[in-house]
This record gives sequence, C-alpha cells and structure tokens, in this order.
Amino acid sequence: MPKRKVAALEKVDADLVSLQYKIRRDPKSYAQEFYDQWLAYDAQRQIFISSPSSASSEDNKKFHDLVDLIAHCADLYPDVTAPYYDQLKDLLTQHHAVLNPDLREKVVGSLSLLRRKDVIDSTSLLTTLFPILISTPSKSLRSLLYTKIISDLRESNSKATNHKLNRTIQTVLHNLVTSDRTSTKGMWACRITRELWRRQIWTDARPCDVMKEACLSDNEKVVVGGVRFFLGGDKEREEMEDDSSDEEIDVKKVKHQGTINKKTKKRQRVMEKAMEKIKKQERKKHAPHPLNFSALHLIHDPQGFAEQLFQKHLQNTKCKFSLDNKLLVLQLVTRLVGLHKLTIISLYPWFTKYLSPKQPSVTSFLASLAQATHNHVPPDAVEPLVIKIANEFVSEASAAEVASAGINSIREVALRQPLCMSETLLQDLVMYQKSKDKGVVMAAKGLQSLYREVYPELLQKKFRGKEATMGLKSGEVKRLKFGEEQVESGIEGIELLEKYKEEQRLKKLAEKGEDADGDAKMEDEDEDGFNSDEWEVASNDSDSSTGWINVEHSDDEDEGPAAKKQRRDSSVAPDLISDEAMAAAAEANRISKLAMTTILTPADLAKLAELRREAQLEKMTGNVSKRRQELINKHIEDGVTADDIELPAQIGKKSTKEERVAMAKDGKPAREEHKSTQAIRKSKKEAEGKSSTNKEKARKKNFLMTVGKAKAKHKRSLVDTKKRLTAHIARSKSGGRRRNGM
Amino acid sequence: MGSSDKKKREKKKDFNKAKLKVGKAKAKAANFTDTSFKSKSIVVNQHTLAALDGVDLVGLFKQHLNQAINSKSDKLRQEALVQLTKDLSSKPIFNPVGVPNLLTKLLPLITDSVANVRTNFLKLLRALPPSDVAPHVEKILMYIRGGMTHLSTDIRSDTLSVLDWLIEVCPDETVSCPGGWLKTLNSFSSMLGWNPSVASTLSVKGWTSATKTSLNKVSKKNGEAQAKQITILAKFLEAGFRPETPLPYDEQRYWDSIYRMPTIPNPFAYLNLWGAQRDEDGEMYPDRISRQQVFERKWRAAIKTGVMGAKQEGGVIGRAASVLDKVLRTAAAEEEGAKKFVEEQEQDRVEEVEVVEA
Repeated sequence: MPKRKVAALEKVDADLVSLQYKIRRDPKSYAQEFYDQWLAYDAQRQIFISSPSSASSEDNKKFHDLVDLIAHCADLYPDVTAPYYDQLKDLLTQHHAVLNPDLREKVVGSLSLLRRKDVIDSTSLLTTLFPILISTPSKSLRSLLYTKIISDLRESNSKATNHKLNRTIQTVLHNLVTSDRTSTKGMWACRITRELWRRQIWTDARPCDVMKEACLSDNEKVVVGGVRFFLGGDKEREEMEDDSSDEEIDVKKVKHQGTINKKTKKRQRVMEKAMEKIKKQERKKHAPHPLNFSALHLIHDPQGFAEQLFQKHLQNTKCKFSLDNKLLVLQLVTRLVGLHKLTIISLYPWFTKYLSPKQPSVTSFLASLAQATHNHVPPDAVEPLVIKIANEFVSEASAAEVASAGINSIREVALRQPLCMSETLLQDLVMYQKSKDKGVVMAAKGLQSLYREVYPELLQKKFRGKEATMGLKSGEVKRLKFGEEQVESGIEGIELLEKYKEEQRLKKLAEKGEDADGDAKMEDEDEDGFNSDEWEVASNDSDSSTGWINVEHSDDEDEGPAAKKQRRDSSVAPDLISDEAMAAAAEANRISKLAMTTILTPADLAKLAELRREAQLEKMTGNVSKRRQELINKHIEDGVTADDIELPAQIGKKSTKEERVAMAKDGKPAREEHKSTQAIRKSKKEAEGKSSTNKEKARKKNFLMTVGKAKAKHKRSLVDTKKRLTAHIARSKSGGRRRNGM
Repeated sequence: MGSSDKKKREKKKDFNKAKLKVGKAKAKAANFTDTSFKSKSIVVNQHTLAALDGVDLVGLFKQHLNQAINSKSDKLRQEALVQLTKDLSSKPIFNPVGVPNLLTKLLPLITDSVANVRTNFLKLLRALPPSDVAPHVEKILMYIRGGMTHLSTDIRSDTLSVLDWLIEVCPDETVSCPGGWLKTLNSFSSMLGWNPSVASTLSVKGWTSATKTSLNKVSKKNGEAQAKQITILAKFLEAGFRPETPLPYDEQRYWDSIYRMPTIPNPFAYLNLWGAQRDEDGEMYPDRISRQQVFERKWRAAIKTGVMGAKQEGGVIGRAASVLDKVLRTAAAEEEGAKKFVEEQEQDRVEEVEVVEA
C-alpha cells in the first residue's frame, strides 16, 4: 500500500501562523480555510463583546491570534472582510478601557496594518485613533497611538504632500484646542503639531494657527506647549535636518570591501543598500533647499496675537502661571514685538515692576525688554525703564555682575532705539569704564562704542574717538530722528559687487597677458567674472553665444552703447583708477547700470551678502574681537537671551580648576585607567566586535604551531620551492583559496 | 619546549598504575557517574498546602474549578473536571457557585487542546440540569460556533458532540436564540464545504470547480467525521423545523402572562432593547415560520446541492445525507401544508365576507 499523502493542514494541528503563510501564498485555494477562521473570529468577537470586562485569558489569547490572522489576510478577501474595519473600530472605541493590553495593542496594530495594506484610508484610521488618544487613561496605549498616528502621517506624506489629509487633521487639532480651552487635551494637538513641524511634514501657516490657538488657551500646560513651539520649534527643525545628514557612508571603503570579501548574497545586499543610501544622500544634497518660513513669520495677525497674549497671560492679575512659564510667554510676546515691529504701549510700563536686582531671573526680563525694543517704539516709553535700570543696577555699591548686566541691557536697548538715552545718563554710564571690574569695563566700553556710531553728540568730546569726531565735522555721521528710516537707494552694497567683478576681470586679463586684447569675443564671455553656463540669463550683452533671440525695442538702443562703453572702460581700466575726479561721477552712473543691465544670479546675491559683511567688518578698525564678529553676524531679528545680558560679567573671571579640567577633557575619548592610546583603541575595536587583522593573528600565533612548518620549509628541495611559489601566484591570481574573483 | 614536555607527562599519567593505600578509599575514575539518585523529575505530591480535611467543601469545589481552567498540566485539568462532575451529579446537586458562573469559567474548555479534557468537559455538561442550561444557550452556542470552525479536526468533531448535547437538552432555545439559527447554519456549511459565499470570493469564472479543500478530503476518518457533521446538521434542522404544539388554554397562565412578573430571565429578548444592533445573521428567529422562510431564502439551495453530492458518495456519508434529505423533505411538505392551511382559512374568510355582503 502506498504511503498516504498528508493533507495540507493535518501536519500541524491548529497552527495559525503556518495557515497565514499558506493563505498568503495561495489565497484562492485556501479561501475555505480562511472563511472558517473568519467565522471563528466572529464567534470569538461575540463572546468577547458579550462580557468584555470579564473575558478569560484563554479567550483573549484566541481572539488576539484570530485578529492577527484576519488583519494579515484582509486584503486578499475584501468581500468577506468588509465589516472587519468597523468591528475593530467599534471594539476599540467602546472597550479600550477594559481591553487586555496585549489584545488592545494587537487591535491598534491591525488597524494600522489595514492602512498599510491600503484596505482603509489614512483619514479613517486617524479619526479612529485620535479620539482614543485623547480620552484613554492608559499611558502605554497613548504612547502607542501617538507613534502610530505620527508614523501614519509621515507615511502618507512621504511621496507627495497629502494636502487633503493634512487639512483634515489640522482642522481636528484646531477644534481640539479651541473647543475646550481649559482642558489639557490641547497638549496632544501641541505634541503632534510640533513633531510634524520638526520633521518638516507640516510647514505652512495652518499648524502655526493651531499653535497660536494653543498659546491663547486657559490651561497652563497647553499654553507652555504652544509658546515653546514658537520659541524653539524652528531650531529643532534645523537640528533634525542636520542630524539626518549626519550618517556618512564611505564609498571607497564599501567598494573596497566588495572586492576583497567573499561574495555572498548577504554581502551583496548590504552593499546594494549602502549604494542606495549614498545615491539618496546625493540626491538630497542636490535638491533645492526647501523654502521653509519660520513659524514666527507665518503667524496671521501678529499684532492681535501679541496683544491678546500679553493681556491674557501677563497683564491679567488673575493669571496664576508660574514665573518660568510667564517668562516664556513674555519672551514670545517681546520676540513678536521685535520681529514684526509691533506697538504695544502698555507693555513697557508693565516692565517697571520687574526691573530690580532682587527679582528672580531678572536677566531674562532685561533680555525681553531689549527684545521688545525697536526703532518704532517711542523713546518716551523706554526712557523711564532705562533710567530705572541705571538707578537700580548700576552704582558703585552694587555687585559687579549686577552693574555689568545693567549696563549691558541698556546697551542692548539703546542699540535698537538710540533715542532712549539722555546726555547726563550716558555720560555717567560711560564713566564706568574706569571701574575695577573687567566685566563692567567691557560693558561700559560697549555702550560707548555703540554711541560713537549712532549718536556721538551725546558723548563727551574726549570719548567720541577719532572717527566719530571726523564724521561729525564732515557731516557724515547724522543721527536719525524718531520715525525716520534709513532708506537705501538701489541695492545695498551693489558697488562692492561691482568692484569685486572688476577686480576679477582684471585678474583674468593679467593671467591671459597678450591674449587679452587679441580676442574680444573671449573677453566678452568672461566679462561678468562668472561662467555664464551657471545661469544662462546672467549676461544679456552677449548677443549670439547664448542663443537668445534679440527682440528689438527702445531699450535695446540704450543698452547697446552701454555695453560697448563698458567694454571700452575695461580695456582702459588703469586709467579709471588713477582719475579720481571722473570716478565719482562715473561710479554712480555705472553702479546703477550694473543693476539695470544685468540680472543678478543667486551666486551674485550670495557674494553680495558676503562682501557686505566683510565691508562692515573692515569698517571697525583694528583687530576685531570674536564677540564683535558674532555680534555683526547675528541678525537683529534673532532675539536676545538672558545669556547675552549675563555674558560680560563672566569676562575676567578666573575659571576654577574643575572647569579647566572639564574643558580640556571635552571632546577627547574617555579613559578610565591609564593605558596607552593603542591599547585603548584595541579594546574599543574589540568591544565593537571587530576582528583583528591577519597580520596581527600571524604575530600572535603560538610559536610551536609555526615551528614545524618553518623547519619543513628549510628542508624543501628547490623544485618543491618553485612549485609552491608558482602555485601561490596562480592562486592569488584566481582570487585566493576561496576563489573570490570567480 | 617546556610546555610540550609537560603535556607529554600528563598524557602518560593516565596509563600509570594507581597505587592503592590502606585505609583510603579507591580514587574515583575520571568518568565516574553518580547514580545514587532515584528519580529524574521532581514530583510534587500536593498542589496546595492547605489542609484537606474534607471540611471546606465549597473551597474544594472552587479549587477544582480553578484547576480545571488554569492548570498547565492536562492531567490535573482532567481530574478536576472529573471531580466537578462528581459533585454536580451527586444528589442533591452540590454546586456552590451556580451554573452561570460555572459555565462562564469552563466554556473555553470546548476548544481545549487535549482530547481527554474535552470529553470530560462534555461529561460535565451532561451532568448539568437542563432547566439551568436553558438561559445560557446563546453563550454556549457562541463557543460552539468558535469550535466548529477550529483548525483542528478533532476539536471540530468534539464541539459537534457538545452541540448534539445542547440540541438534546434544549432544542427550542438553541434554534431561536439570537444568532442561533443563521450563524450556526453558516458554521455548518463552512464546516461541510457547502458554502456558496466562499465560492463567490474565489472570483474564478470558468467551468472547473475548485478543488475540494484539504480538510474535507475523503479518507476513512474524515468520512466518519463528515457523516457526523451531516447527522448533527439534520438534528439541528429538525429541531428548527419542529412544528410548534400550541399550549392548551390555561386560564391561570393566561392571566399570569399579563399581570405577573415573568419568571424567565430576559423575557423581552426579542426586542433587543439594550444589546448592540443585530444584522440578519445575528437576528433572533423565534418561531418556525420565520426560521423556515429565512432558510428557504438563504440556505435551501446550497444545502440541497451539498446533500445531493453527499448522497452520491454513498457509505456512511450517504446514509447520513439521506437522513438529512428526509428532514428537508418533511419540512418542505409541512411548509406546503401550512401554506395550504393559510390559504384555506383565507378563502373561508372571503367566503364569509361574501355571505355577509350577500
């Protein structure tokens, strides 16, 4: 009798995992089995629903397994499993509080699996999970749901931005924050928005609007969440971007390993993955930088927002936020005021109460005050504050740190609104450069140098310095009246760019030597100092080379001679430098020409910014300190922090030994014991699970193991030696004993 | 060369003759195995440290109950079930926890992985008084349906025995409880492979029929199992189509039903006031006519084709199928009769109306 064939499911009794595997491989043949399990699932579900709180562990386990099986096969039998999603949804929404944790996790996982298999869409998944996230008391479930929601939003925005979904979710979050302003539920809106902002999935104004509403909530936690987003969200986003590009793969190393290691499928896969990653990184590098606006810039109606924030959380005496949180709100308000140049007059008198050295974290208040000042603030509003700071902080009797913080904060305020200072006060403050403490001296000198630039008349003559005095005499230094704006005519620093281009061209000419006057055409192409291939619109004076069709109109007639003149100018460049008188008139002419006759490329603009910065640096005579440089590079919109105020007090302080040791240790590998660097490296390698080199192994090999071979080698005949050598060469050519090359 | 010399000496040592000394035990050999112990496994004689003086009978019962579900060892589970059965079948019945609790706890055992536990569980069920079982039929049926489509054939067949018992004990409740009629039929058809809804999922258009699935392969064992399935299906249908005998008029009962508190649990179950909304499958079919109607509409064709096929196979299956066929025929005949009766009554009324008009 032949051996009886064992049917598919008889071998392993009741093994859902193998059944799942079979179903997925051959869904048509296993339809019956699947249907059986579907019925079993249905029965188990009813058992569960009939008494959800008192389900036995046995039942839970069975139900868990069946839910898993159905979820994995749901896409294969859409007709049978049509009600599956709704059932899971009902189960979760109604019984999430009493469900067994494992089962609950499985249900959530199954729902997201359905989403991944495209059985349901993102909106339905998110609208299922979101209400539970907000209402459930279980921490583990919340964290699970949170990760699922974030990952689903990421997934669905990965290929292209899913505007429809984003809008739906943003509306839900907005409603969540605005519907009940006293509840902590808004925290979830904050967390989700912030996370998606950090990952650059949401970059438009709508999430900012959600956070704006969060800031105006009544709940302290929600408010802090919203405020922190505006203060730190953008920085977080940048950091995230930097992190993601951190992992560099050494292409050379990967390729080299591919040639020497044994070729296995696994290694090949690893290599392919690495190459894929490299390609992705390359693509990312060359992709245009996304134009991401800062959240502070995307706020709709900043004036109204700042006013509301100020009235609700700061001015309101009933508001019982802790000082730290109040400071956060204050930072946001003042940041908005400084950035958008808003006018909130009641803000300045409010500060008066907090400007005393005894106030906790007063430096933050001082920094906020500086932030809130800009050139549209009436000097009358700020002046009393400055006087108060001077009275409270700056005196011979006060501690050095306090005095330096006071002077420094006054300097920060004055930097933004120079008119807030009276003559006597300034002269008094400047005299502090005779103090004994270095911090105070530095602060006072900083104030002096600021006023040398912006308003030298206020300083005593002996403190004005050479440049300011000369400038005053020649009428170059002019102070601006309140409300007056320094308006640039044309593009700021365009003359610098022009000069730079000229220099570049001259350099090229010098290099070419005699070639220069020979070929006019070549010169023509290289005229603007940049290769015109970079951006083909760059030069419009070259008529034939770029292939642009010349359209005749009135402008062309002006342009033709201009270009020609320019060419002539360039050929007699030495003349131009020598003739000073002509230069003044010609320069104004030429500068305007540059902006009018050429279109500036992005490269031009970048260079322009760089040149402007350099020029500003050069203006400061003598050696420019590092801090000065930082100050110049720092954009005025960046805001002031408490550190900026406190910093000068640190100058001239000797650091303690511990600090110095910590500084020296910073950035060096940790060593617990005294060992040689080599030993440390070796142990590190071992800890990473890396093997030693062949050479090292050979060196370490037991002498007795090698001695026999060495002896035998001596005794070989010449023929034998030759044979061995030729065999060795042949072997190495064919890729070693393992035939790696084959 | 020190180390190699040392090794040589050590190797030689094994072959030197050991010197025996007076008053000292012989040195044990290197490969000596201690065989003084008796048993390889540790046997625990009692699972509980509480004194079992036979005083706390209630506690003992509860302990058995717990053991029957929670114990890892199948022997223990089985023994606990035997003990429980003994308690339940004693006169008077000793059941300190009550039938509902007992059932809630023990029902998952229907799909227990060990055959002996399942048979003992069935014995326990048989020991329960039928009147106490009736209110819990719906719950038992849920577990039965779960077991009927279980992956393991043995569990399926044992579950059928439970269903057999249930039909025996309370046939009316079995077919009339919510989900009891259509859902059970669904499970039956899926079990037998007579399901039309599965064929539609297969979306294969063509003249070849799908291969018979592996679980329904005709071997000797499977044939017997299928015969059992068909027999129990026949019993189930018979219970469903059994003509209701009208209760003789009893004045007391009539007034009781109007003014007294009902004595059965959940007397308005058919209204489904608090439960989740039911679909067609999960609906109650409380009387014969509704059951028959829904059967005609949904299942008759499928089951008829299945019966035809089974009959042709002959043997045990064929015999079972013919029993089923007979049940179907009588049901159809009764349906006809009922229809005729209704029509006659209708006609009588029409005639009466005519007479009155005349």
